[in-house]
Amino acid sequence: MDIFLSVPFLIFMPLLVSMFLISPLFTTNEIIVRRFSKGVFLFHFLYALLMLACFDTANPYISEIHFFGLDWIQSMGVKFIFKIDSISMIMTVLTSFVFLLASMASKFNIRANHKFYYSMLLLLMSSILGIFTAGDMFVFFLFWELELIPAYFLIGGKYNGVKSDDEPNAAQKSAVKFVLYTFLGSMVMLLGILLLHYYNFISTGVLSSVFGDISASRIPEYIQILISICLLIGFGVKLPIIPLHTWLPDAHTNAPTSVSMVLAGILLKTGAYGIFRFNYELLPDAFLTIAPVLAIFALVNIIFTAFVAYAQTDIKRIVAYSSISNMGLVLLGLCAINKPGLSASVFHMVAHALITCGLFMVAGIVYLRFKNRDINTLSGVAVVMPRLFGFAMVIVLASIGIPAFAPFVSEILTIISALNADFSDALKFAAVFSLPLLILSSCYMLKFLHKSFFGELAQEYEKVNDITIHEFIVLASVLAGLVIFGLYPNAILGMIGG
Amino acid sequence: MLNDIFNILLPHICLGGFIILQLILSIVLSPRLYRYARLISIVGIVLSILLLSTVQTEPQYFAFRGSLMSDSYTLLFDFAILVCGFFVALLTRKLVKTIKRHAYTFHAILLTAIFGAMNVISANDFLTLFVSIELLSFSTYFLIAASKGYPSKEASFKYLLTSAVSTGVFLFGVSYLYGITGSLNLSQIYEITMSTEPSIMYSIAAILIVSGLISKLALFPFANWVIDVYKNTESSILAFLSTIPKLAVFGILCRLLVFPLSNSFELTFVLAIISLVTALWANTYAIRNNNVKVILACSASANSAYVLLAACLVSVYNLSTVIFYLLCYVFMNISVFSFLNIHDRLNVDDYKGLFYKNHGLVGAYAFSILALAGIPITSGFVAKIYLFSAIANSGLIFVPFLLILLILTVVALYYYLKIIIPLFQSCDKNTEVQKLNPVFSQKFVLVVTAIITLLIGIYPEKIIELCRFIAYNI
Repeated sequence: MDIFLSVPFLIFMPLLVSMFLISPLFTTNEIIVRRFSKGVFLFHFLYALLMLACFDTANPYISEIHFFGLDWIQSMGVKFIFKIDSISMIMTVLTSFVFLLASMASKFNIRANHKFYYSMLLLLMSSILGIFTAGDMFVFFLFWELELIPAYFLIGGKYNGVKSDDEPNAAQKSAVKFVLYTFLGSMVMLLGILLLHYYNFISTGVLSSVFGDISASRIPEYIQILISICLLIGFGVKLPIIPLHTWLPDAHTNAPTSVSMVLAGILLKTGAYGIFRFNYELLPDAFLTIAPVLAIFALVNIIFTAFVAYAQTDIKRIVAYSSISNMGLVLLGLCAINKPGLSASVFHMVAHALITCGLFMVAGIVYLRFKNRDINTLSGVAVVMPRLFGFAMVIVLASIGIPAFAPFVSEILTIISALNADFSDALKFAAVFSLPLLILSSCYMLKFLHKSFFGELAQEYEKVNDITIHEFIVLASVLAGLVIFGLYPNAILGMIGG
Repeated sequence: MLNDIFNILLPHICLGGFIILQLILSIVLSPRLYRYARLISIVGIVLSILLLSTVQTEPQYFAFRGSLMSDSYTLLFDFAILVCGFFVALLTRKLVKTIKRHAYTFHAILLTAIFGAMNVISANDFLTLFVSIELLSFSTYFLIAASKGYPSKEASFKYLLTSAVSTGVFLFGVSYLYGITGSLNLSQIYEITMSTEPSIMYSIAAILIVSGLISKLALFPFANWVIDVYKNTESSILAFLSTIPKLAVFGILCRLLVFPLSNSFELTFVLAIISLVTALWANTYAIRNNNVKVILACSASANSAYVLLAACLVSVYNLSTVIFYLLCYVFMNISVFSFLNIHDRLNVDDYKGLFYKNHGLVGAYAFSILALAGIPITSGFVAKIYLFSAIANSGLIFVPFLLILLILTVVALYYYLKIIIPLFQSCDKNTEVQKLNPVFSQKFVLVVTAIITLLIGIYPEKIIELCRFIAYNI
């Protein structure tokens, strides 16, 4: 069995396909492009599932790429190494799944530049998989930066096929904003990585940047904290932690629906994954000092953005702000520094990825039919689209934490584990005060559901069709995931060992 | 003895011969035969490269009573300079067409500049260094003025004035150093300064010498010329200006910092401040501008600043990073300017939508700009990480400096995006996107340099190994 399982293939297959897709060798026929790339995503998902099935938590997949017998940058001890442990495995499968959903959702949103769009989607997938599986700090950073190119073109590109003269348009502006914010964060992060690399070399004498070779225990405390803060700023832009979040609502609102699904579903998780990989694992002493402060930031994330989300009228903005709020919960789980907290936050990442995919899909479907996302002017969607209403209602209920769905488990588990954190009262404070999230999220979510789906339907929309089979499949698979993990959370919690 | 001299100087002599040949031809041949000027230059440069490969590197060779030297370090820089010169000569086709009558003279000056640059690297004596630098600079003034129109002459004159002042400063510093040590030979000065206590006069001399040199790098006190010159100069000359003088001056600067001037903490501090101020100035100046060449001028200045900060924190590791960065940087720059040579417009909006008619060319161009910005899978990414790691390894004092430089690279990304974004924007309805039709040499330079950038980005280890080897052997 093992010969079929190759980590580099898992990561670089989308990259190679994307190069093939964008080259002149491939046809420009949009149907073929679409079906081909959908097939690639499906194949990748099945492959990831196969790897998951053969996965053994005791010995993770490790694979190293040599360049003609040499390491990548030997003089800095940088090795092109990939390691898939249980958290990486979960994130990899999740990535593959979300991209599969996004590619299915692309059918109706993308009406021009198919070749370019799908190759960028595949490139983005490759770089995100690289982030989740990198076993070396600089390789991690490489993929972290590489993701900027496809993300820029996906957010800022024009795929609706409408020729307009309003240049530079809003999407492009928010794409630039996204790139600059992320680049700023990653440059500060690079400083942290370089310092960690150097001080690790001084204190242990090993010139290496592989995660396993780094031990921060003998680095002076203040330098550890300095490095931690640098890294946190980098990850905080992606996560996002509150003062660094302003790129997110714009990017999510202006991107096509499928891209929003990927952004909220996967891209934000790279920030949380980075905090886990670097701050939590490599710099545990400094993280113990920082965690209480970070927990307060998480609390601000959770509560403040919930209020902001309530004030929004654009459906996509509501969902975007709710993502920030939920990522605050993920951060709180990490700050608890115990096994249940860690597994809860990973579980919440999965649950939240499913939720946002579903919600953005609903928003996209509504926008496609009604050319409108403003909940004040939108009303009576349920009259013509009863099936969509059914899905929307269940997903909204799941997102506000109704039992039997995945978010319920993760939210409760996160708060409990934060309450159990003994090293600081700030954690308990944050845990207690983040409980109103459950109420606040029901406020804005139900407001969205109520205002847009109930009420009178305007006359011009009476002939709108209900969801197609494509959209049905996406929404149904999201729902299936939510129910499965809600009823059997041990599937994920057991893998991490919480 | 004679053998030694011959061994070192063979490429130089070859290039000198071709300079004389060009000068003779400029008198003899009729102006109608202008297009062979480029060919002769290329032949000369290629011959020099071939002869360079026969030069022995071990051990160090000295010529003319120790005023010229040759080792693996000079060999690498000579090689890089000649390769850049080869690409630049290929790009001059368009320019030569506009100055038909002076084509041979122009190419003689171009070869002289390359000759001067090679001599700068080999200099082991402040007098030789001074003469070679002036040879390089004076040729550069003429090359800049060769572009069409009055503004290029004005820019050239501005450069001349700035350079003249800095040359004065340089000579003043040399005179101090001579006063302290009684010698002009670099090796002797090194021995003398190592055996005596560093004095404040020595630091002052070192600072003056280095400030004299850095005007060629467009660094802070002498940076004003760079905007004017870039704005008004033809892009093939810019490909020359942003690579060869930079290689030459950084090459000799690193050698000076490692050997005779290594003994001064004040110098390091001053250089760090200069680097920071330049980076701040260049990056903020470029934000407001929409002129591609001005943006690239600022980028040239800012990149010099990054390299200077790594170079002034002298260590073997830093030296290897500096060499690697320079090698990557020159190829990116030539690539960028070769595209500008194909499509010579100033405003960023004139490039709108070019991607949709010229996939390959614009793709390579955008790739090179991304390399300048330091995005992965380009050599710029590896070079930047490697360079910044050198600064990070130099102690906690320089961490704030490094942080500021890193944040400034974000600003840099903003103006690089300003160049890239219009390429992918859709055009206005009433204007047709232009289909570019470059000649073979332009395509060749653009594609080859972009491929080198890509290859180094994917597989940097071999080049880094070479740089480390050379840095250890200096």
